[in-house]
Amino acid sequence: MTRIPDPAPIASPSPPRVEVIAREAPRGSAAARILAIARYLRRNPQLVLGVLLLGGLLAFSLIGRLFIEAGMAQPLVGPASLPPGAEHPLGTDPQGRDILAVMVYGSWLTLRMGFLAGLIGMAAGSALGFVAGYYGGWTDRIITWLVDVLLTVPAILFLVIISAMLSTALTSFGMAMIIALLAWRRPARQVRSQILVMRNAGYVEMARLSGASVPSIIFREIAPNLMPFLISSFIIAVAAAILAGIGLEAMGLGPQNEPTLGMTIYWIMKFSAFLLGMWWILPPVLLLIILFVALYLINAGLDELANPRLRKRG
Amino acid sequence: MTLLTVRDLRVDYFTTTRVIHAVRGASFDLAPAERVALVGESGSGKTTTALALMQMIDKPGRITGGNALLKGQDLLALDHEQMRRARLSRVAYIPQGAMNALNPVMRIRDQMLDGMADHGRRMGRAEARDFVAAALEGVGLPADVGTRYPHQLSGGMKQRACIAISIAMKPDLIIADEPTSALDVITQQQVMETLIAAQEQIGCGLLLIGHDMGLMAQATHRVIVMQDGLIAEDAPVDRIFTAPRHPYSRMLIESVPSLGDVPQDQVREPQKAGSAAVLAMPATGDAGPSELLRFDHVGKTFRGGFFGGGDVRALAPVSFALAADTPQIVSVVGQSGSGKTTLARLILGFESPSEGRILWRGQPVDAMGGRARAGYRQQVQAVFQDPYGSFNPFYQVDRTLKLPLVNFDIAAGTTDRRRRVEAACSAVGLNADEVLGRFPHELSGGQRQRLMVARALMIGPPLLVADEPVSMVDASLRMTILNNIRELKDQFGISVIYITHDLATAYHVSDYVLVMHQGRIVEAGPPRAVIKTPGHPYTRALVGAIPWPDPSRGWPPVGRSRAGWDAAPVIHGGYPGFVLESGLARAA
Repeated sequence: MTRIPDPAPIASPSPPRVEVIAREAPRGSAAARILAIARYLRRNPQLVLGVLLLGGLLAFSLIGRLFIEAGMAQPLVGPASLPPGAEHPLGTDPQGRDILAVMVYGSWLTLRMGFLAGLIGMAAGSALGFVAGYYGGWTDRIITWLVDVLLTVPAILFLVIISAMLSTALTSFGMAMIIALLAWRRPARQVRSQILVMRNAGYVEMARLSGASVPSIIFREIAPNLMPFLISSFIIAVAAAILAGIGLEAMGLGPQNEPTLGMTIYWIMKFSAFLLGMWWILPPVLLLIILFVALYLINAGLDELANPRLRKRG
Repeated sequence: MTLLTVRDLRVDYFTTTRVIHAVRGASFDLAPAERVALVGESGSGKTTTALALMQMIDKPGRITGGNALLKGQDLLALDHEQMRRARLSRVAYIPQGAMNALNPVMRIRDQMLDGMADHGRRMGRAEARDFVAAALEGVGLPADVGTRYPHQLSGGMKQRACIAISIAMKPDLIIADEPTSALDVITQQQVMETLIAAQEQIGCGLLLIGHDMGLMAQATHRVIVMQDGLIAEDAPVDRIFTAPRHPYSRMLIESVPSLGDVPQDQVREPQKAGSAAVLAMPATGDAGPSELLRFDHVGKTFRGGFFGGGDVRALAPVSFALAADTPQIVSVVGQSGSGKTTLARLILGFESPSEGRILWRGQPVDAMGGRARAGYRQQVQAVFQDPYGSFNPFYQVDRTLKLPLVNFDIAAGTTDRRRRVEAACSAVGLNADEVLGRFPHELSGGQRQRLMVARALMIGPPLLVADEPVSMVDASLRMTILNNIRELKDQFGISVIYITHDLATAYHVSDYVLVMHQGRIVEAGPPRAVIKTPGHPYTRALVGAIPWPDPSRGWPPVGRSRAGWDAAPVIHGGYPGFVLESGLARAA
């Protein structure tokens, strides 16, 4: 067997262990951070595209309202059922609303409803999840039992009953509150399971040994590490809230006097726009598609950030 | 005639801005039936080298040069499909953690037959049964193991099942990546003997990756030492241990804590506390009773779950007392499942005893109110096994060090805190400028673990629980960290409960040793007495199984029959300041 002579100790000409092949800013500087974020975003195009779509939708609504008065979205501002023209770029509906104005104001109202309901549901749900997961024992059993029971009840049943009771006085803000009533269940369960995993992490035990209080452990040790997960759950909660809201509105249980996207769907059905082949079906449907695709892309992008196992390298 | 010829193997890893040359031109040979060790510390490129031989380098890594001829065929030139066929049938791999390598929802036999079927060998029912039985028998497992699921097997049995799977097709080369690093010494000996017997029977080559020079001395013919992606030394086992040429090889060999040759005559006089407590805070509260900690028939039983079967007794009732005025290091030694970690968690207050009482300075811990409990928290600190998990990845490491200073009101103001943190860093031999302001992932395991010791030092508790503090740290740093812990006692008067599975390190650091087996203390005494003249059959097996860097010493045969392991505990006398009570024998 041929024996290789012992290699000479590291004197042999070999390249250094680590070579820098791209521009690097000094560690910890703002430039380094921006570079790192930019490089990350380049590897995560879904997140970028999702944020761009959502941002575009918001810009459409916020910039649009500078040029179009809110009154234009009310009935009888123009002749009924006008095709697109110079006066009304997207035409009018059978009740005489300007469709462009409805889209500008409606997308804002729908987004606001979703974000409000999602935020409240997420906040309440993660608070419950944190408490249940961290304390365990009877607290956990009661909360988990409540969530499990409520999860089996179809949300739409609750929502229909409540909004039917309130139907006349309903605003889009009220809608958000009604949806938030049930939006906390899923976040509570998801956050609880994450806390169960993290509760026994070494750094949590270290913090306990360092005299940290329970709220400080939850909010300063565990929560930061859950951030990508919490944001991603929040986006799901928003999407679910918008879906629930539009469902109610399409049934006619939404705010009758506000031009939300969901109410527009209701009017479309009410005035048989499908049968009459009216073109004003398209704008609200298109906006909703853009909205949901954007939320989906953001969620998928954040998921990649939160789960390093899915992370692509290179 | 060589079996494997590796020439100028190069592997690079690409990050967004850097290239890391993980392996920088490795060349070595392997003869048929030869067992070769590939040793080095983490990051030395040893695992990368082995994985490259099977083209199992994951992105962003890439093999950028060299060749590896196995019986004349270049493994690195095979295409995807050819490589897939070569794995298992020609090059087999035994992974580090058998618990993660086996599929938890498949029976062992199905996992064995899966690999066969994948290589085009389909068997009838009877043939498959005989095949599985023969393969399991080859690694010393009963045939009915094949019908079991991984969770029904012990760690050693799982690792042996992995060996059975990997040698089933009689490969030319077996690559074993730290196959025993998660096992205790007795199981390690059994698994290594199984592996060597199987390898000798097939007559294939074995590439054994690891960092434990002691184990390599017992198990291999030749040792290749890797450092920073280069081969530092390649020498027969009897030469490298007697006359290592490369300083790195010498360092690796010397870092193995051995039981015999180090002068152990430094008789450790018990000393009074508080001799040099510059950094350490005086313990809060007044002196109180002379006992620091007392276990009064403390036992712990975990209740079985709904499907989980019976209760598990993690700790049989034990009584001992630790004196307050004599700093000391008490080692608790045992394999996994011996109850040593339960003991540690009981002391830390993370578990409460199911029977008996724990008293801290004469006060029962269970009955402590908010304020007293906070004081107890501060006075019993810990260094955990996993230096990676102990730091919150979200924050810079400074925060972990400063948190207790803030919460326990130890230092007032940021400058005082900073000064204390820096002083503690230098006390454990770290350069404060290098480690502070960094995120945990930017530091090595050894640096992190030393920061944990520094943290304990700043709090200055009367008692520190060190739960396997060096088992996940590179060999070269183990003794440094253990010396840091020794200094806690010698200079700052901190008593330490040192939990470990490693008798050799316990021998080096401790004043008193408790050996635990299945929740019971089986032997106790000063380290010399316990390790030089072990009285209990279990301790004898444990001492015998410790590998040490002397190739001329073979492993003594393990008592396969575990007879005698239930024998009554052997107590070798006490240590001033630590009283193990005789109630133990009765409780056992």
